[in-house]
Amino acid sequence: MNKKITKVISLMAVFGCVAIAFTSCGKHDANSPGVEFMPDMYRSPSLESNMAYVKIENGKETGDTMQANRMPVAGTIPRGFMPYAFPDSPEGNEAAKTGAKNPLQKNEKNLKDGEVLYGKFCVHCHGATGMGDGAVGLKLPGAPPAYTAPDKINMTEGELFQIITYGKGLMGPHAPLVNQEERWKLVLYVQKLQHPNGVAAPAAAADSTATAAAPKEEAKKK
Amino acid sequence: MDTLFKKSKKQIFAIFSFLFLSLILSTNTFAADGEKIFKQNCAVCHTLGKNKLTGPGLEGIMTRVPSEKWLFDWIKNNKAMIAAGDAYAVKVFNDNNKADMTVFASTLSDEEIQATIDYIKAPPAPTTPAGPVAQTSGEAAPQEEGINPLAVLLGVIAFLIIIIAVLRGVRHSLTNLQNEKMGLPEEEAVGPWTELKNWIYTHKRTTTVIILIITGGLLTSGWYALKGIGVYADPETKAVYHPDQPIQFSHKIHAGDNAINCQYCHSGVEKSKTAGIPSVNVCMNCHKGISSGATTGTKEIAKIYEAAGWDVEKGEYNKPQKPIKWIKVHNLQDFVFFSHQQHVTVGKQDCANCHGDVKEMTTVKQVSPLTMGWCIDCHRKTEVPGMKDNPYYESLHKRLAEKYKGEPITVDKMGGIDCVRCHY
Repeated sequence: MNKKITKVISLMAVFGCVAIAFTSCGKHDANSPGVEFMPDMYRSPSLESNMAYVKIENGKETGDTMQANRMPVAGTIPRGFMPYAFPDSPEGNEAAKTGAKNPLQKNEKNLKDGEVLYGKFCVHCHGATGMGDGAVGLKLPGAPPAYTAPDKINMTEGELFQIITYGKGLMGPHAPLVNQEERWKLVLYVQKLQHPNGVAAPAAAADSTATAAAPKEEAKKK
Repeated sequence: MDTLFKKSKKQIFAIFSFLFLSLILSTNTFAADGEKIFKQNCAVCHTLGKNKLTGPGLEGIMTRVPSEKWLFDWIKNNKAMIAAGDAYAVKVFNDNNKADMTVFASTLSDEEIQATIDYIKAPPAPTTPAGPVAQTSGEAAPQEEGINPLAVLLGVIAFLIIIIAVLRGVRHSLTNLQNEKMGLPEEEAVGPWTELKNWIYTHKRTTTVIILIITGGLLTSGWYALKGIGVYADPETKAVYHPDQPIQFSHKIHAGDNAINCQYCHSGVEKSKTAGIPSVNVCMNCHKGISSGATTGTKEIAKIYEAAGWDVEKGEYNKPQKPIKWIKVHNLQDFVFFSHQQHVTVGKQDCANCHGDVKEMTTVKQVSPLTMGWCIDCHRKTEVPGMKDNPYYESLHKRLAEKYKGEPITVDKMGGIDCVRCHY
């Protein structure tokens, strides 16, 4: 009888020890990514976007790190990219005013795309209707001016494009975020916000007859 | 007469007080107007402090400009003054990289310009934001310094071994003492291993059971340990990987409170394999103007300025740039291909489907395990909405619809769970 009890106790002790030993390793640390299988598949020695790498100068590792993202080699341009002719300078702004022309047609699809882009890239400062009342805009030291302000409402498409590309005042350059085609779509939508009853596309008719109106406009442009 | 005089006295008093009141009110309204005009027209480029935005900060402007009249003319039409060759005007123009200031001749009346100047001269005391007082450490609650259970276990085992050794010695000498008394021969000292061997020979069944239990325990825990490899979520506590970032950036404030679209910062998501961690210039699009936050004051935003090389006082990038070493939270292994573009543009997946409710997260957590099982589960359940309107897939879609009559065409039905779809 006595022996049996000791047996049971020793069994339980051994089992308990094993159980404790294997659960003790599961302590969680929010900063630790945990066990990784083949760590160089997670943190690749080859360059991946958005990762920091040790900077190498003259064949020697330096203490600095750098981003994997590289600037294009000087004098080259990416495929499918057209350089923009007007520089970020007072002269460039002046020249773009009349010189930069929107290559896109003002049709329903482009306006719709512009609206979607506007909701992603502009609305938080400029507000849904372009009055400069977005949540971030109100936190800025000066809210962005309304698109319909007297000195803004008659801006040419070239001026608008120049501002989206290079920024103005508190607004930063947005060329890295939206490509040229997208910027021209944004220009179309901003112009629609400025002139909801615009000469080219009356707002009331825009929804129902836009598809019908679009070919007409194309014809006009030709 | 007396009463009349009294009356007129009262009247005069009333008139005077009215005039006085209206004067106070009118100056007040002027000041208020000035503030409004300043905020609407000037604050986009000028601060009232000494920090430069696009234009110079306006602190101490009245001591800098030649006269108040000059400032008035400058606001009204600065271009005319520059063209006329006014010495100070040309100097200001050149000092500020020849950046145009808006001409207000047509938009502001003389009174409005004067009100603005009055406001610039005596601005109300700046209301200091709550600032660094309310510094929170976010969710990084101090970790409890618990004692490592493994150390406790090892300590207990060592303690038990010592006790066993001592007790064995005691028993041995006691037996010998008794044997001596009874005149029996001295018992031979038996080593612990020999004794253990003897015990095992006499208790074969118990030994087998113990060995089975130990093996079983090892196998199960080994199985769970294997399942935990590469999975950042703790299976028991459901705690997930959420590392501290070099800057206490809060998605709750940016994407939640300020309703900034995910794509504003992660703009590669529709065009590229990676959604992209924004470069500092995207931060600067807003933080050029916003230099103090609600929870951490200027401390965290100053780190952006340091990374961008932005000089707050001069308002220009004149320092060396230092990239921020963000820590990647959602990290897929190199042996699996994943493209954000595919999932967002054609699959029309919402960010939150995989990344959880980031709008409510102060520090980003990895809510999805990112395991193969998790990928395949979703591929078995999800249809591809972007395929329906895309003429490129038209014939394929028609064939699939014929093949799986009426059934929803999920990703796995078009080869979405083939090995080589992701591993190649």
